Amino acid sequence: MAVSAHSLLKSMLLLRLPITTNTIVPPRVSRPSSSPLNLISCHYLNASNRTKSRHFHSPTLYTRTAETPKKHLICFNYNTSASHGKGTNYLELTDDELMRQCEMDTFKASGPGGQHRNKRESAVRLKHLPTGIIAQAVEDRSQHMNRASALKRLRALLAIRVRNSLDIDSYSPPLELLQILPLKSTIRGSDCGPQIGPKNPKFILGMQALLDLIFAVDGSISEAGKLLGLSTGALSRLILSDDSLRMAVNDLRNSKGLKPLR
Amino acid sequence: MKLGLSRACFYSSCSASIFSSSIPSLTTIKPKIPLFLRPPTYSVASSDLQKWHGWAKSLASSVGSSFVESDDGPDSTLLCRELNWLLEDSLENRSSSSCFSFAACNYDSLDGIENVMLRISLDDLYQLWKQRIEERRPFQYIVGCEHWRDLVLSVQEGVLIPRPETELIVDLVSDAVSNNEELGQGLWADVGTGSGAIAIGISKISRSYGRVIATDLSPVAVSVAMFNVQRYGLQHVTEVRQGYWFEPLKDVEGQLVGIVSNPPYIPSDNISGLQAEVGRHEPRLALDGGASGIDYLLHLCSGAAAMLKPGGFFAFETNGEKQCKFLVDYMQNDIAGSFCNLNIVSDFAGIQRFVTGFRQ
Repeated sequence: MAVSAHSLLKSMLLLRLPITTNTIVPPRVSRPSSSPLNLISCHYLNASNRTKSRHFHSPTLYTRTAETPKKHLICFNYNTSASHGKGTNYLELTDDELMRQCEMDTFKASGPGGQHRNKRESAVRLKHLPTGIIAQAVEDRSQHMNRASALKRLRALLAIRVRNSLDIDSYSPPLELLQILPLKSTIRGSDCGPQIGPKNPKFILGMQALLDLIFAVDGSISEAGKLLGLSTGALSRLILSDDSLRMAVNDLRNSKGLKPLR
Repeated sequence: MKLGLSRACFYSSCSASIFSSSIPSLTTIKPKIPLFLRPPTYSVASSDLQKWHGWAKSLASSVGSSFVESDDGPDSTLLCRELNWLLEDSLENRSSSSCFSFAACNYDSLDGIENVMLRISLDDLYQLWKQRIEERRPFQYIVGCEHWRDLVLSVQEGVLIPRPETELIVDLVSDAVSNNEELGQGLWADVGTGSGAIAIGISKISRSYGRVIATDLSPVAVSVAMFNVQRYGLQHVTEVRQGYWFEPLKDVEGQLVGIVSNPPYIPSDNISGLQAEVGRHEPRLALDGGASGIDYLLHLCSGAAAMLKPGGFFAFETNGEKQCKFLVDYMQNDIAGSFCNLNIVSDFAGIQRFVTGFRQ
């Protein structure tokens, strides 16, 4: 993952999500009470400047943007009025819905294409417009499969880079987080079912919620463990079970001057 | 547009019998089995395979960017990726890890394994890679397949290799069907089907209700398309017929709910300048669209007007913006009243590639 969380943190982005319409609510920059991070710069990616609706089935609407990708950490405040619409969490979107928020690009787009070319360049690049996050896939042999891989990768990147702020005082872990916890967690009810591991696509949702918590407690594993009914060791083992999760946590800990988990 | 004339010239070499819709001799054309489906009967010392891999890699590297400069062909990076795919298809154990150890030139994992099982002899592997580099034989003909959408389709000389752009036609059909139940339950046609790619792609969408008939003039294409249809177990919903465009479909005139096609659309003058993999090895029959490239597309338009039910959908692939606009203009003016809701759709590279619409 070519992401330096350190630089991400420096350019932490706070923006309030548009809920149901295309119009973008002006960003309300605020410092979440639970976040100790200094807000050094605030960028706002204005999606309304671009083509207003992009469906990957209708690439006629597609316009290329020369803008280089910005690697922000993006932070959303949970919005109580968000209950009437999906949108606070990109990971809850279906593949089709998420794809509609993306600009898809294929490499080596020069020349007439089609029957003119014998193309093994089936590589795909997806740019998620609301966040500017880019995911790409080149290793599959069909473009269709590369698109699916890129989308899967995008979900993982969204989980790692998009932070939801939360209120520690009234914190109660969401179900998707409880589901990835080991069974010995004291707050994990028996109704959570078996533990979901990193290979399960649902793990990403839990991973996002876990990162939200760990960011809220400034990377302290023992503090996060307490809130999850786990020992520091047990939570560390969970974090170390997935590479991208481990890297995200260690990047945060590094920025806080804490020792990395090993 | 003098369709009849150019068609007559173009096919003057074809015998008259080739236009009839059923040819008994067709069953005698046996499609080649793609490499990855052949039995792994060749036991090869892993050191010999490594030697071949090293040789093949240096041959690929020696190409540098010379093919790119001469005709926008593959560079050595792409050739090395193809080499790994060739290995993937040749090895008994297709797991990417064993291929990856080769790709990374990390042969340690093979230490202690004296022999590996291959689906092809080592001699043939040398031969094939030589053909790939020296004759620019397309990689897909070398391994006998192309990965297209979620399918792995058999291809061989004489059959157009399906292109990534064309994958979108299946999505266009999927959209049309999801907006209109009736389309999903009716009879579709993929004319000039080649390997059967689009026909199989749309059969999988409408498999429970609809049916698809695929046609092609080339007997090789017909037998390869049949092979692919059977491999996906779709023979009950997908029928392959041999003949010229709509001619094998006379019995279903006016009954189709949808027509899709990726007809030859390259202007004749451009054929000689094509990338060697395409121009030297792929069937001209599937590429050459006449002087302006649009002969068969126009033929498809008038055919679609007769073959489609009112409300029926069509999607055609074209050479680009010019042909798209020409077709839309043709349908709006020259054959006004036949089609409605015409739409030009771009491919993922941003090139206007498809024309879609509905029979009025």
